[in-house]
Amino acid sequence: MLILTVENLSKNYGRIQALKNVSFSVPEGTVFGILGPNGSGKTTMLGTIMDILKPTTGSYKLFDEVPESAHRRRIGTLLETPNFYHYLSGVKNLEIAAEIKQHGKEDIDHVLQTVDLTRRKDSKFSTYSLGMKQRLAIASCLLGNPKVLVFDEPTNGLDPVGIAEIRELMKELHRQGKTIIMASHLLDEVEKVCTHVAILKRGELITSGNVNEILSNEDMVEVGAADTNLLQEVVKNMGAVIRVTNDGGVVKLFFLVGTADLTFINNYCFKNGVTLNHLLLKKKSLEARFFELTNN
Amino acid sequence: MLQLLKIEWLKVKNYKAFWIFSILYSFAILGINYTGYYINELTVQNMPASQVILGSPYSFPKVWQTVGFMSSWLLYFPGILFIMLLTNEFNFKTHRQNIIDGWTRQQFVTVKFVFAILFSIVATFFNFLVALLFGLITTGSHFSFLGFENIGYIFIQTVAYITFAMFLAVLFRKSGTAIAVFFLYGLIFEWLITVIINFKLELTPVGYFLPLQVTDVMLPIPFGNKVIYKDAPDVWILVISSLVYICGYYFFALKKFTKEDL
Repeated sequence: MLILTVENLSKNYGRIQALKNVSFSVPEGTVFGILGPNGSGKTTMLGTIMDILKPTTGSYKLFDEVPESAHRRRIGTLLETPNFYHYLSGVKNLEIAAEIKQHGKEDIDHVLQTVDLTRRKDSKFSTYSLGMKQRLAIASCLLGNPKVLVFDEPTNGLDPVGIAEIRELMKELHRQGKTIIMASHLLDEVEKVCTHVAILKRGELITSGNVNEILSNEDMVEVGAADTNLLQEVVKNMGAVIRVTNDGGVVKLFFLVGTADLTFINNYCFKNGVTLNHLLLKKKSLEARFFELTNN
Repeated sequence: MLQLLKIEWLKVKNYKAFWIFSILYSFAILGINYTGYYINELTVQNMPASQVILGSPYSFPKVWQTVGFMSSWLLYFPGILFIMLLTNEFNFKTHRQNIIDGWTRQQFVTVKFVFAILFSIVATFFNFLVALLFGLITTGSHFSFLGFENIGYIFIQTVAYITFAMFLAVLFRKSGTAIAVFFLYGLIFEWLITVIINFKLELTPVGYFLPLQVTDVMLPIPFGNKVIYKDAPDVWILVISSLVYICGYYFFALKKFTKEDL
């Protein structure tokens, strides 16, 4: 089943085109990243499929059906900022969200525990730090254990420990078979968490598909030895290697995805009289790939 | 609808301003009527002849109208309250979140208006109790349902003021602007426009049909209203006009909410 299908979606704000004819689909069970720099249309895209923005043209489907409010109750969504009643406590805010989603209160303690907010659950929302607000918003998404989650910049405002926790939570949700749609401008976040990605640039969809295929089409191996010149000579003649660069003393070898074999490289160099003191497999720099995709 | 109202109740139940406004409003209704009652007693005591003009406003059956007229000056209280309840949602972006979590846009608007009507029912009932109280403590007054239709007018007027305030809140989205316009329009400009239309342009009774004015004419001052609201239309016309306004505010809010970005 397709969780989300976007068909030729466009959205104009006056003369500005926030989305230009975007189409893609999100299969069930994937962690689908919507990646793009600030202002590329990520939040507009998610706002449209949550019915708080009206598309100029185009349409979308949820769960293979014409979207309606009942679909949204089955999706836990954090859009842009945590939106809660400032004068109510965390737990009272969750009671309202649970009522709207037509669930009972029984989940509330559990989701607060999941995001580590139990201690402050009775404090007013207005007294929360940015990170705590974000945690409460994530807790609200988890109410009723929905099969689909939509997160817009989920690690926004969190400290490094919080970021790691939320990423771990997303991986855990993925393991439980949930579908996660996540917008982010953070490359490594998408790479660490997502299985699929769609890249937006100034409202246009540049590409979408499997993360491994899109974000890295080459494997890179860093090698080092006492004699860099000799090392470079030797590896040039090694089979399978596409190209060799010398980046300030670090020699980099590029291979097609999945073809770099560290044992082979080590053996080959040793047989040819070079003893390696550094050998490391790296995927191609995501930044480089991202700039490649979003520039020109 | 009950489930939607339950959620609306969860929003206001722990909202201090809601209770402070409601309690102040209740005391103010009692207070303004006691003031009227007391001044009337004093005036009649000192100048018995004045009773010819004043009548006995706090005796049955006049008391139903008197309390309604006096309390109508306080309708800015619930108006401001409902402006805050709506603009809070815009400020907190919870109007978006409610939709995201699974309400339809129509549900969001409708439950707010239904809640306003329920609030008006409670306020009307309180006015009824106050009228009953003053009617019973006035010497020489005997309980009567005559003029009881004024309680119905109190209800319509309360709904009209609150929904007009909500209309302003939806239009301006900022509580400061909406409250300022509400006060300036209701207390100054509407009177001015009525005077210009009715007397300057000699178009009476057209000036009586302005949004708040139409309910004020429906529930006029208990004495001398024939002078103040000269050539006023029949009350049933005023009632229908008020209801048309109320429906208009609802459909305006509904259209704005269902057609535009939130």
